[in-house]
Amino acid sequence: MPKPDFGFAFAPNRALDLSAPLLPEVQVVLETEPSIRACMACGQCAAVCTAGAFTPLAFYRLVLQLRGGDVAAVGERARHCMLCGKCQMTCPRGVNIRNAVLLMAALAPPKP
Amino acid sequence: MEKSAWFVWPFMLGFMFALVVLLLRYLWWLRSLWRRPSSRLLSRMFSKHSLLAVREIFSEGLLHLRIYKRNRRLGFMHMSLALGWFMMIVGGKFETWFHSGQFLHGTWYAVFFRYFEPQTAGGWAGTFWLHYMDLGLLLVLTGLALAIMKRIRKRILGIHSSTRHTLVNRVALTFLWMIFPLRLVAEALTFGQHGGGGFLTGSLGRCCFSSGMLAGLELPLWWAYSLSLGAFFVVLPFSRYLHIPTEMALIFLRHWGLRAAEDLQPEKALQAFEIHACSACGLCLDVCPAIKDHPFQSAYFLRALRSGKGWESLASTCLSCGACEEACPINLGLEKLRTAARGKIHEKHHAVYSYLPTVAPVETSRVDVLLFTGCMGRLKPATTKALKDLFEEAGLTWVHLDEQESICCGRPLSLAGRAGEASALREHNRNLIQGQQARMLVTTCPICLKQFRDDYGLELPVYHHSEMLWYCLRAGRLKREKGTACFSYHDPCELGRKSACYQAPRELLQSCGTLLPLEREQADALCCGNSLGALSLSLSERQALTSRTLKVLEVSGAQSIVTSCPLCQHNLARQSRLPVRDLAEVLAVTGLPEQHGQRTAALAAVQEL
Repeated sequence: MPKPDFGFAFAPNRALDLSAPLLPEVQVVLETEPSIRACMACGQCAAVCTAGAFTPLAFYRLVLQLRGGDVAAVGERARHCMLCGKCQMTCPRGVNIRNAVLLMAALAPPKP
Repeated sequence: MEKSAWFVWPFMLGFMFALVVLLLRYLWWLRSLWRRPSSRLLSRMFSKHSLLAVREIFSEGLLHLRIYKRNRRLGFMHMSLALGWFMMIVGGKFETWFHSGQFLHGTWYAVFFRYFEPQTAGGWAGTFWLHYMDLGLLLVLTGLALAIMKRIRKRILGIHSSTRHTLVNRVALTFLWMIFPLRLVAEALTFGQHGGGGFLTGSLGRCCFSSGMLAGLELPLWWAYSLSLGAFFVVLPFSRYLHIPTEMALIFLRHWGLRAAEDLQPEKALQAFEIHACSACGLCLDVCPAIKDHPFQSAYFLRALRSGKGWESLASTCLSCGACEEACPINLGLEKLRTAARGKIHEKHHAVYSYLPTVAPVETSRVDVLLFTGCMGRLKPATTKALKDLFEEAGLTWVHLDEQESICCGRPLSLAGRAGEASALREHNRNLIQGQQARMLVTTCPICLKQFRDDYGLELPVYHHSEMLWYCLRAGRLKREKGTACFSYHDPCELGRKSACYQAPRELLQSCGTLLPLEREQADALCCGNSLGALSLSLSERQALTSRTLKVLEVSGAQSIVTSCPLCQHNLARQSRLPVRDLAEVLAVTGLPEQHGQRTAALAAVQEL
């Protein structure tokens, strides 16, 4: 089947296959904090992020990576969050970002 | 023992069972202390602290003064049940002693004394004990009547919600309710048949139970009394009535310097005693802002911790507004327990802050104020601007610590139970502060305030901007004239209940306008719904809480809602009909009428264009 032309291109590794089954650990996170599913990756969270001023932390990216199944990367990155809650205050979708981050950070292997 | 007195056995067996179970549980909870006895505890044990504990047991365990201060009818109910029962236990001991000349008897002898000695030796002392015991019984029965009334119509006792009990607690409650009416009837019947008795049992016996036909009922009634007592003691260690002995033990342990652990250990040391000392009296229910939506009130949370099931969701949906801790009549450390529980849920969470830049010590000239606006302050630049204007007006010099690079204070992590993970943040901020020379640290966020005050161990005093502005007003550095504006003030949880700052914001608002009284304010204020304590409360649930809080705040006559926390302001403003402003903004604007005029003129000019 020829590739449809949308008028733009994207790298294959950034494509998200929504029909692909989720990893069990990802499913647990999404079930424990269902509001993550409401995220529309608008980027408000990243715009106000306290930690984001020092390190490339952006919650909406974590959500996308989580859906993509890149669990280790999500866990590593989520550990940089300070849990200040500014993102949650500005989130237009009412995602419980602090709880989501706590769950995501637990995905990484324990600290040495 | 004669055969007819075998009815004492149900009571004795139940009582012994309760004693053994209690002893085993307490020894298990205190196991760590046996291994490592703390010298502090031992030295305090034989000091005035034990006397202070006895006093507190008397005022709280028996008289229930804290409940009485909150709700007189409810306080009287608890007092009459506890004090009446206590009077009867003490009276029983003295009565048997007085009568037999011996101090030590089997426990059953005092409990069923009237059966064995219906006609005690006369004299004024004998009569005194008869009436005294009847008074105790009357007191308990009054309490019982109120307790039954509370189950049927709560409003009569001045409460809206009462605890929904589990089956085992309802069973225990039934046995407890049966004990005292049965004792009354059994004693009255014995007195009716044999003569004697005090003002209550004696009179009842003479008027109702003197007929010879009833003689056969005497023993069955004493059996019933003994059975209900025995059954109550059997369920006591597994029901909420475990609070009766545990509360006393808790008060002693607290006075001996034992503190609750930071992590969740529901079957260990002081935390175990705290969790089991809750009587589920229900004072935490009516004060909870979410009472209508969620069952996460402390009475239920502690019950879940006791059973080990379901506490996770209760801990992570609660807002940690502190209203239940404020209302708790036995001062349980409920907030600490909740954060400990959250920490347990997220024990796999770890934070890494190695990316933070190192802070080089800066030598600056001495200033009056170090201003820390925190994370939330960055979302409310108008507050920061207003506060700086006010500093200028008051002639104060300042350094804005986190103007360029803002780091979280660490309290949000603490509220999620991960206080240990926040050490890198605290270290960073401490370095930021230590290089400076200033008279005080001022923060515009009550969350930072609490964290700086409690956990940073700073050398300089830490104030919230409302306290600082009030100080300026009193010192005459700021001058305000009372205007016509009408405000309703929202007490942020972290500033009010958690930091006990109620007066400063009120005085400031009174200085420039009229502060309207609210249905619920100060320590009773409702949470705005945006507390950082709640981890998994959904947006719609938060919004329901916010609208309830706004109902209290939007009183008639109010022109604006004022608060002093950026989180509350942000959250209330989203749903409020009235403008919601920070205290600093209000004060900065109201002080300058000519500027206000200029602004109106400018606006009019723009509209003309």
